[in-house]
Amino acid sequence: MRLGLSVAAVAPSITAVWAASTLISESPPTVREFVWVEGLDLSVRFRTDSLALLMVLLVAGIGALVFVYAVGYFAADASGGVRFPASLLAFSTSMLGLVLADSVWTLFIFWELTSITSFLLVGHKDVDATVRTAARRALLITGGGGLILLAGLMVLANEAGTSTLTDLVPVAGRAATVAGVLILIAAATKSAQVPFHVWLPGAMAAPTPVSAYLHSATMVKAGVLLIAVTGPAFVDIAAWKWLGVTFGIASMIWGAVGALRHHDAKLILAWGTVSQLGLLVTLFSFGSAKAIFAGMSILFAHALFKAALFLVVGEIDIRTGTRNINELGGLWRTMPIAFVVALLSALSMAGAPPLLGFMAKEAAIEAMLGLAGGEQVVGLIAVVGGSVLTVAYTVRFLIAVFGVGPAVPVAERRMFMTAPAALLGGAGVLGYIAVDPINTMVSKAAVELNAKADVYELIRWPGLKTAFIISIGILAAGSALGAALARRTSTVPEPLGANGADRLIDGVVEVAPSITARVQHGSLPVYLATLSAAAVLAAVPFLAGVSVDHLVWWDQPIQAVIAAAIVASAIAGAFVGSRLGAALTLGAVGIGMSALFIVHGAPDLALTQLLVETIIVVGFVLGLGHLGRRFPETAGSWRATRIVVAIAGGLAVTIALVASGAAPSGRAPIEALTEGAVERGGGNNVVNVILTDIRALDTLGEVVVLAAVAVGILALARVREQEAIS
Amino acid sequence: MIASRSPIVRLGIRAATPVAIVVGTYLLFAGHNNPGGGFAAGLVFGAVVTLRTVAGMQRPTHATGLISAGVMIVCLVAAAPLIWGNTILDQEIVSTTLPVLGKVKTGSALPFDIGVTVIVVGLIVALLDGLSATDLDGSAGAQRGGSR
Repeated sequence: MRLGLSVAAVAPSITAVWAASTLISESPPTVREFVWVEGLDLSVRFRTDSLALLMVLLVAGIGALVFVYAVGYFAADASGGVRFPASLLAFSTSMLGLVLADSVWTLFIFWELTSITSFLLVGHKDVDATVRTAARRALLITGGGGLILLAGLMVLANEAGTSTLTDLVPVAGRAATVAGVLILIAAATKSAQVPFHVWLPGAMAAPTPVSAYLHSATMVKAGVLLIAVTGPAFVDIAAWKWLGVTFGIASMIWGAVGALRHHDAKLILAWGTVSQLGLLVTLFSFGSAKAIFAGMSILFAHALFKAALFLVVGEIDIRTGTRNINELGGLWRTMPIAFVVALLSALSMAGAPPLLGFMAKEAAIEAMLGLAGGEQVVGLIAVVGGSVLTVAYTVRFLIAVFGVGPAVPVAERRMFMTAPAALLGGAGVLGYIAVDPINTMVSKAAVELNAKADVYELIRWPGLKTAFIISIGILAAGSALGAALARRTSTVPEPLGANGADRLIDGVVEVAPSITARVQHGSLPVYLATLSAAAVLAAVPFLAGVSVDHLVWWDQPIQAVIAAAIVASAIAGAFVGSRLGAALTLGAVGIGMSALFIVHGAPDLALTQLLVETIIVVGFVLGLGHLGRRFPETAGSWRATRIVVAIAGGLAVTIALVASGAAPSGRAPIEALTEGAVERGGGNNVVNVILTDIRALDTLGEVVVLAAVAVGILALARVREQEAIS
Repeated sequence: MIASRSPIVRLGIRAATPVAIVVGTYLLFAGHNNPGGGFAAGLVFGAVVTLRTVAGMQRPTHATGLISAGVMIVCLVAAAPLIWGNTILDQEIVSTTLPVLGKVKTGSALPFDIGVTVIVVGLIVALLDGLSATDLDGSAGAQRGGSR
């Protein structure tokens, strides 16, 4: 596994260097488009603007560090082979696709890919039942969000008249509101906003490199990014702003409260992530130029400090064997490097100077002060309240893990784990010292979303302004609260929402068999009766169109002979007593049909029909080996029912055929198809050219569906076989 | 099964197998200009497989492998044009002169058809596996080598 991780680290490293150099060279954005279906406006479209490149830098840069970290995290003999590195790299690629996407469809595809790869990574330790449950919960919530996203994006693309994200124009009206609400809900599922946040703490069952990478730095930002890039389309919709702000504020407060209640260091960070994501969602939902600038700053800073904190917690977990803060303590002496990294990152998270997080938090408070009226009051109270709680859980985390108490014995340091964490932690300080390049990056990214954002910048030391005074107040109040709660041991809260989600899933699984048993009862006669009844119902609308004027007895007399043979075989099939005889008469009917096709000049159809009949007859012979030679005797009402069903089905099909033959609409497309076949398809057999060229996409879809169904049935049959054996 | 005890049936199927494979291959290649094609070819191969199953003779068994291979081929052929900047499933026609066969014209429809053929064979194998695995009268277990 270590070799795989080292090899996999190369790709994100190169990508990160590319993103950084492109950002520095300030080259104009490039757009690459691969048209898929022209008429449907379906294309794969990527765009490298400042926002996308900033995200690429985060995704690939942190990705590279996480791969290196994972080399240290996993023991040399860790199982999992290449699956873990491959899944992690697949996630990294999906995330890059997501941030570079410039078409709503491209965005959706990569969005779903990140959900799937996240499922695989959360469920890495798949022998553990709780891990499987957590992975399933995460997949169902984010996957459900994906479906909602698809609906929202379709409405949005329709309303805005374009599927290109950067071309979105402000939309208004009821449909646009629906699109906005759907997109917000989708973003809330992905970015773990209350009440959809329940999957995120569970996802902490994943190995720490995954938690640091997916569930703090990158994937959970996808929802925030979605709100950011679709926001310009919804500026005129009040529901968008207020629903987003509600999601954000609820998550900001509830997440921070959760972080104060838990004892698992990793869970504290996870709940903290919910809270921070809430802050981001709030900022981007307000959507003012200043809020967007502040949001971009916090997004950038959060990716650095939260990833670093997760990496440190993973190191503590590996070296002490526990993440419970009641069992930890005094680590500042035994793990000095980890302590310094955690201190810097945690203070950056709390928004204390002189760190990157401080400047970003200042910008957020400034942005709230810049709002007007009720928005200002609500926004300011929420951000201040959330920040106080953030400082509180940060202080509690630091004191409980590193501060008081006897030093816990620790194992030897692993450089591969320490170095990436130190780099990320150091970046927070570096960002404060060398603020100019970060200012440029963040400001340019914000300008992509709102052109008015270029006047704002991060300020190292603002002096005694309102925002700064508020910051100091937050730090003081939060520290006091955190210190007071640091050693208070409370009972760990029940994960109500998570349990609820699991019970919902289990309930569906429990109800499903009884419904299936009713719909799919397995009685062939009832299935056949149902089919015939449906055919009769479907034939009713055709009744009006039935006419016999266009019917001729035959085009060529030979058709009459063949038809007579078919009818004779069919009648024989109804009366024959042996099963094999019935199979053979059915075969005769089929062969008669192919003879009719030949007379009509459709050799391809005839060939296919003949071959299918052959296989079906041989298959019958194979299956009949298991059954008696003769049909069981039927009598009385049951026999009458069968006759009625058969006649009704036959009548329905006849009516539909006669009626549809009476009203041909338009000219047959045979000429266009024939010409196209020779010119573009390069073949003289029109049927085959239709299948492999003109309508090749249909063929592709059909065979893929068939294959999927077959594989599914095989898997089910295998399960049954195993159950039978055991 | 009775058929497996009949030397006439067994010999007949043994003799027919290579002929049917030649016919199937012909249909596959001829399909673009004459009656035939990937589906028909797959059915011919499938018929061989079915007959051999009836007679209890050796036959392909890895349905999942065949199906996945076929889907892989079809999807790769479908996606390949994207690499050259063309649309998905764009037809590429090649014309070349080969020894013995003379001038040959073919296109990317051929590998696409091959994929379809493989999937059809895989589906038939899956069907046969299902039929022989289903314990309809208790004799199926014995037929599968008496594993119980």
